[in-house]
Amino acid sequence: MQVFFQTIVGGLSIGAIYALVAMGFSLVYRTMGLVNFAHGNVVMIGAYVASTFYMTTQLPFAVSMVIAIVVTGLIGVVIEWVLRPLENRDFDLMLIGTIGFGIVLEALATIIWGATGRAVPSPVPAEPLNLLGIRVRTYNLVVLGIAAVAMILLMLFLQRTKRGSAMQAVAMDYEAATAVGIHVGRSNAIAFAIGAGLAALAGGLVGPLLYVSPAMGGTLGIKGFAAAILGGFGSIPGAIVGGLAIGLLDGFAAGQFQGYSEVVVFLVFTALIMIRPTGIFGERTVNRA
Amino acid sequence: MRYRLVVLALAAVAAWVLPYGLSLYAIHVVDVAIVFAILAIGMGLVMGIAGQINLAQVAFFGVGAYMTAVLTTHVGMGFWTAAVLSVIGTAVVGLLVGTPALRMQSHYLGIVTLGLAVAFVSWATNSPLAGGASGISGIPAPTLFGLDLSSEYLFYYFELIVFACALAFGMFIVRMPLGRRMRAMRDDALAAGAVGAEVRSLRMAAFALASVYGGLAGVLYAGLIRYVAPETFSIANMFLLLAMVIIGGRHSLVGCVVGALGLSLLREALVDVSTYAQLAYGAVVALTVVFAPNGLAGLPGRVRSAWGRRRPDKAAVLGDFQPYEPASPDVVGGPDRDDWILDVRGVGKRFRGLIALQDVSFQVRAGEIRGIVGPNGSGKTTLFNVISGLYKPSSGQVIFAGKPATGRPPHQLAHAGMARTFQNLRLFHLMSVRENVLVGLDRSRIRSIWRYLLWPIGVFRDDREMHRAGDELLARFGLVDFAPAAPRSLPYGTQRRVEIARAMAGRPRLLLLDEPAAGLNGEEVRQLGEIVRSIRASGVTVIIIEHNMGLVMSMCERITVLASGSVIAEGTPAEVSRTPEVIEAYLGDAEVNDNFSAEDELPPATVLDATP
Repeated sequence: MQVFFQTIVGGLSIGAIYALVAMGFSLVYRTMGLVNFAHGNVVMIGAYVASTFYMTTQLPFAVSMVIAIVVTGLIGVVIEWVLRPLENRDFDLMLIGTIGFGIVLEALATIIWGATGRAVPSPVPAEPLNLLGIRVRTYNLVVLGIAAVAMILLMLFLQRTKRGSAMQAVAMDYEAATAVGIHVGRSNAIAFAIGAGLAALAGGLVGPLLYVSPAMGGTLGIKGFAAAILGGFGSIPGAIVGGLAIGLLDGFAAGQFQGYSEVVVFLVFTALIMIRPTGIFGERTVNRA
Repeated sequence: MRYRLVVLALAAVAAWVLPYGLSLYAIHVVDVAIVFAILAIGMGLVMGIAGQINLAQVAFFGVGAYMTAVLTTHVGMGFWTAAVLSVIGTAVVGLLVGTPALRMQSHYLGIVTLGLAVAFVSWATNSPLAGGASGISGIPAPTLFGLDLSSEYLFYYFELIVFACALAFGMFIVRMPLGRRMRAMRDDALAAGAVGAEVRSLRMAAFALASVYGGLAGVLYAGLIRYVAPETFSIANMFLLLAMVIIGGRHSLVGCVVGALGLSLLREALVDVSTYAQLAYGAVVALTVVFAPNGLAGLPGRVRSAWGRRRPDKAAVLGDFQPYEPASPDVVGGPDRDDWILDVRGVGKRFRGLIALQDVSFQVRAGEIRGIVGPNGSGKTTLFNVISGLYKPSSGQVIFAGKPATGRPPHQLAHAGMARTFQNLRLFHLMSVRENVLVGLDRSRIRSIWRYLLWPIGVFRDDREMHRAGDELLARFGLVDFAPAAPRSLPYGTQRRVEIARAMAGRPRLLLLDEPAAGLNGEEVRQLGEIVRSIRASGVTVIIIEHNMGLVMSMCERITVLASGSVIAEGTPAEVSRTPEVIEAYLGDAEVNDNFSAEDELPPATVLDATP
């Protein structure tokens, strides 16, 4: 029982990271039709920047996060600017272009921080917390808490504020949005900034959970992308549910199948997506042949 | 042609004498580069030709290599037996990995195949059978006719022959009907289905081809290095392979080969600064997709078109349409005959809450020209999509030529004699006008795919026959001057005519035209009327959706009027234009406009009948 609940908490906290990554994917995709495959690598850069400032200059964790968000935001702007001619036109080429950016980011990280990677110490006490007789890692709860706050804030922003509604409108029909006086360019820029911010947040949070290395972006990106598809590409609640689902699947597969967990995760994902290609909440915007 | 032969001969001679000038290390590098070239051909076929985003190609490579390793070392088979089994095994894996393509495309397919590739590496790293992270060593060196291929120089010649055959076979497929249908499917899967291409089977065939090339490369790799380990098949190498194909030009197999050879050799040259090399090729990929989507292979075409712009040759002209031979009256039928070619019975279609069609019933006689009119959003195109098999109706059924058509996929209906055009033009835009028409002519089926391997002469003959028929058709539609042109470079009216020619290429019995006059000028509309009448006179039944009332009223024997998803009137043009419901649907609700009575103030004929 103890193991079971620990697996659930562990799975949910890594799932919350996947959910943040998936939200970044979905938000950017629905507003500007950009499938950003480099998002996982942006997360990796975020993790490195946050941990570098946190570990070497002794800045508070929160301040390091803010710096990371600024850096990832700038990277996001560059990617969007280069690939703008392909937006809403050729998904396949755009996908490949962002893979190219992913390769660049991974090489950059290797050049700056070296190929070996680093372990990031937890910003909260390491001893486990006793919750109703179940011992859980304190940091897992921190991750869950911060991710939940970020998700709620994002949902409130999209649904309750004027700017958020404007972004929703752009997502549905950008021509009509322009016609009613919404500044589409600004709206897209905000969406991209939020997406990059989510990436940095995910990167900063994942540091103490996983080993930070240039290669981590690939795994995080693929699983985050899988989470977004599983939930329904472009849907924010879908990203959350999909992320948590992949995280739980990850946790239990690791417990049950050890080394083969990746095999199991991706086979199950393939089977699920074959059964329901539009995901749990259904795809938002754009059509597929 | 002669120029090409000379280039080919020179390349062959150069490849043959190359090893004499190379050190042992250099020949090893070249051997590995050729393996990647074969892998890249497979990638080019599945991604560039068939349009399937397959990010598991490196896993196919791995399956081939690992199977050879396991079968030779653990099972103790000879190298060649293991090689044949490995290629077959990889093809089976390829078909399995390709099944998701039946349900999803584009980035969805990309992530699923990439996930499966990750799963493969994870399996190889952990499985005791695959030797874990340290891999499998001690694969026996292959011998061929007494030659010991452990010499890398001899292996080079062996590889060269395999590579030449692989490239030739790939290019043969691309140029023959199978490759043409794959390219059509890549450009527009819906339109390809509507002209009779078996889209789902073609996707599987593409994955099978890619995996055979992957397996072949894997076998060669195992025979060359005689050691396999997981990191060779990592995602990083998958992306490197992708870079090779994109930079070389994914639509051209030669481009893929050039990209693979070039990047392999560059990687070796820059091995001391490999991280910077990685940075550079990533950046080149990102820039290639934006500025040169066709890669290196697209450059000659660009140079040529920049050159051509300076000295314009004689302008291409749209020729006159040469009418079809009228069929004998008993074939043509007509409005007074009683055999239905199409019987739509109580068809309904709803999209979640929205009712697009409701209890639509009508029948079309063989040899008729039927008009379908109605306000925008009345469900006309949805009706066409149901008839042609793109949508499954929520209720009711469609009988085509005496057989139920409901639930049959579009390509089957196309083979049964149905053809259509699309409201928003769906031409295969990366193919020439001639190729567009050839795809329409192509009636070959996927089940005769064995001929590509066992009886290529037959395929070649069929293709030549298709070209002859295609040229005839192009001449009939006055498109000869445009045959080599890309559809998007043509005037709108000409594109419309190409689409009709493509639909007629399949010799249909029923032709569905969705707003064929949209965007045409007066003269083009007149020509369209002439074409449609001639098509009917040749014995083809025509159903036409059109907003141009002049054309509809002058051409159709009977008209069916749709409004809000239901049939509100049917009859001859004169009858229909007098029906109060029709006037209401076109002019608005009678109760709202109760100031005037439509019948008194505006004679319906003048409203609907715009003919002079």
